[in-house]
Amino acid sequence: MLVADKTGRTIENIPLKIGRHEFTSRLFVGTGKYPSMEIMKDALAASGAEVVTVAIRRVKINETTSLLDYIDTRKFTILPNTAGCYSAEEAIRTARLAREAGMSDLIKLEVLGDEKTLLPDPVETLKATEVLVKEGFTVLVYTSDDPIVARKLEDAGATSVMPAGAPIGSGQGILNKNNIRIILESAKVPVIVDAGVGTASDVSIAMELGCGGVLLNTGIALAKDPVCMAKAMKLACEAGRLAFLSGRIPKRLYAKASSPEKDF
Amino acid sequence: MKVTVNGEIKECPEETTIERLLDLCKIDKNRVAVELNLHIVPRKELSTRMLNDADVVEVVTFVGGG
Repeated sequence: MLVADKTGRTIENIPLKIGRHEFTSRLFVGTGKYPSMEIMKDALAASGAEVVTVAIRRVKINETTSLLDYIDTRKFTILPNTAGCYSAEEAIRTARLAREAGMSDLIKLEVLGDEKTLLPDPVETLKATEVLVKEGFTVLVYTSDDPIVARKLEDAGATSVMPAGAPIGSGQGILNKNNIRIILESAKVPVIVDAGVGTASDVSIAMELGCGGVLLNTGIALAKDPVCMAKAMKLACEAGRLAFLSGRIPKRLYAKASSPEKDF
Repeated sequence: MKVTVNGEIKECPEETTIERLLDLCKIDKNRVAVELNLHIVPRKELSTRMLNDADVVEVVTFVGGG
């Protein structure tokens, strides 16, 4: 039975705390690469997400439609990213612009090492984290699944560390569960798996390990039916969370009968 | 005078504020952040900051991303 806390909330409803923000849904969804804005809007609704990520780019002069025409900012919390930045300096500039455009302190910090792998540059990421934390940002930081780097980012004041399950957009799932487990063991801030998720079971695996949440984009946006996949991801996130909270049985090498031994 | 907006050269009258420039470019000022010569212009100053010849203006907004 799910135990209620002092406020009467059952354990499964305890919100995810990111700095001063609280979220019931633990699925964060990106807004890139959908076949159309209408499909994106429906997929975001089906995912149950409360946080959606966006990128920062130059305005196209005389273009009148905007992404935000399709996202109800009273319903969704906007999490701008620094995607496409390859140095701490660029990422800091982008984060400052994002704060000015969105009037929010939240930033998904992403400083990449190269275009082929899109793997994070740990040195530049750490530098940018230190500066942005000092400037009062709530920093959710994209990182590799290296536990030592994750710890250093937390020590630098990151509000959440977001290890990649697999390379961005690769859909390979959680490649190194052991590293995610080690990160979870010492982290005092929420660990959100970001990147690499391909399908529902990948989300469940992250949540079963005890992650605070999962952030994904391509897995939904490029599925044949993005809206249906968004719902699958939502259910997988909830299922994985409940399984984690329930305390799974240990894995055994040999069988153990579920029925009593025959006594006749 | 001429100013550069997101890499494009724009002709605009003397005494143009940043807000007026955004209007001329049909940009909704509520959804953007503006840099003037690489320095962020706070939103509340958009209506008062005057542009000078050869200024470089960057206007950014939110687009789809993960």
